[in-house]
Amino acid sequence: MMIVAGGRTSGPFAGLALPAAAILLIAVLAGTTFASHAFAQGNPFGGPRSGTAPVPVGGVVGWIFAKQAEFYRQFSGLIRASKADGTAAWSLMGLSFLYGIFHAAGPGHGKAVISSYLVANEETWVRGVVLSFLSALMQAIVAIFVVGIAAVLLHASAATMNGAVNWIETVSYLLIIVVGLRLLWVKGRALLAAFRDLGRPAAAVGAAVTPAEAIHEAAHSDHGHDHGHHHDHHDHAPVVAATAVAAAATCCDGHDHDHSHHHHHDHDHASAWGHAHAPEPEELAGPGGWRRGLSAIVAVGLRPCSGAILVLVFALAQGLFWVGAASTFVMGLGTFITVAMIASLAVGARSWAARVAGARSGYGMLAMRGIETGAAVVIIAFGALLLGGYIVNERMVGF
Amino acid sequence: MTTARDKPMTTMTKHLVRWILTLACLLAASPVASAHPHVWVTMQGELVYAPDGSITGIRFAWTFDDMFSAFATQGIETKKPGQFTRVDLDPLAKENVSSLKEFDYFTYAKVAGKKVDLKDPTDYYLDYNAKDTVLTLHFTLPFKTPVKAKELNIEIYDPEYFVDFSFKDMKDPITMVGAPAACKLTVARPKDLSVAPGQQLSEAFFNQLSASDNWGAQFANKIAVKCP
Repeated sequence: MMIVAGGRTSGPFAGLALPAAAILLIAVLAGTTFASHAFAQGNPFGGPRSGTAPVPVGGVVGWIFAKQAEFYRQFSGLIRASKADGTAAWSLMGLSFLYGIFHAAGPGHGKAVISSYLVANEETWVRGVVLSFLSALMQAIVAIFVVGIAAVLLHASAATMNGAVNWIETVSYLLIIVVGLRLLWVKGRALLAAFRDLGRPAAAVGAAVTPAEAIHEAAHSDHGHDHGHHHDHHDHAPVVAATAVAAAATCCDGHDHDHSHHHHHDHDHASAWGHAHAPEPEELAGPGGWRRGLSAIVAVGLRPCSGAILVLVFALAQGLFWVGAASTFVMGLGTFITVAMIASLAVGARSWAARVAGARSGYGMLAMRGIETGAAVVIIAFGALLLGGYIVNERMVGF
Repeated sequence: MTTARDKPMTTMTKHLVRWILTLACLLAASPVASAHPHVWVTMQGELVYAPDGSITGIRFAWTFDDMFSAFATQGIETKKPGQFTRVDLDPLAKENVSSLKEFDYFTYAKVAGKKVDLKDPTDYYLDYNAKDTVLTLHFTLPFKTPVKAKELNIEIYDPEYFVDFSFKDMKDPITMVGAPAACKLTVARPKDLSVAPGQQLSEAFFNQLSASDNWGAQFANKIAVKCP
């Protein structure tokens, strides 16, 4: 589908595409986070129960759920078997992998936070996959660390381990909120700037200006307010979509401005046609950019999987800690795959929205900023609800 | 500059992408916010009757699965490794009982639709079976006021289904100690997700599952005691 900059997409549904894309994005995020069930469940600490009607979900969900339980049940048997027969360890690895894939469909493992982050921060698909991998890896490492230190070194009791995990959990949720707040700060300001710019007649001209063109303009003018005339930028459109980022905040990159700009790691997209401080497209993929995702990785990866901890402790009790550790890493591999799939969905939806948005003047930009800001809000809300116990993450085994 | 998006996608790639996205959608849409059970408890219960025929409480023996038992006994000092005495396990038992309170002991009793209040457990201790490496928690759960009614309904389940409860012996799951002869007991377990390794669950079973208000309730163990 060719999109002509400054024009409209071909096709009869062009007018609906943008709202539809926005709805799709929100639906994907909502689906992974605010499942009616999550809210409906009574908070174990005596919170409210909602009165939602039962939603018959049908076979697939139940099947995933049952599979998880089925796989999980087999861990202890296989670990015991590994003691006697080394080849059972391979089955254990296979089981761990499958379990990881199915288990990540349940709560936790950062699906929602990472997906929202990718949407809010205009990340590329590759970046999304890498974030998913690193957070899954970190979860595995944290689980091994917790059990290794607590159980092996300190001979700590289950209660102590539970306490440690609860503490880590709290930190993780707080970090999620912090990540969300930072994003909200940046994207919110960008949204406001986009609102302001809507009102500026000069800015409205030459809507979806392409990055190459904008940078070109910037070289000549001091504030690219007059990059109106290049409506025939044909195949930059895919570039607009692909580097949705740049599309978001084309224009001038920082000279001749009388604003003080702070080049944060999470780039400051004030406005597209106004006084934007857009990072160079290269910057986004560059080394400085990796640190940006680090906060999200840590926030999500900090909380270990309860199942992994149980498996590790059991393996330890059987004298097979390293087998347990290997199993945990393989589980992490499985969860990475599921999370990456969902992250890809989020990135894809966003690119689609950006592509559509790129074709609309002014409002497209506004919509994209709106979606990003919305995603930042989702992250904050998610962290807050987790912290408050209103969303049930995996409950650390304990009583 | 052209990107990968410019290259025409082969049909196969398109199909693959579509398949992956569908799968991702399914997983994303799975509202199973409650993770699967992490603890399996097999129970044995006894309804305790007073001489006047009212039910004063329930005496439970909950046996935990080996993984949870290993976790729970982690770090407990013992004279002989792998052998835990009641004394060794006493602090853990105390902890279990006080933690259970937060979850209402997973026991929900009702008479004519009205909730029956429970008191704190008494006579509790933990036993460890070294052969099966499992812990069993014994405790008595007294009712605040003894129940003398035509019908008493008891449900045992974890609303979040983190803990799976089932009866050790379905033929004789709950006994009535000192009950009037005419009282009848019926036990039901609507859904059984207590999968043994290798067991397959039927299609119909999956279709019945609903991510409803009370996810765990559909796996509840239901006891009905009817007295004339």
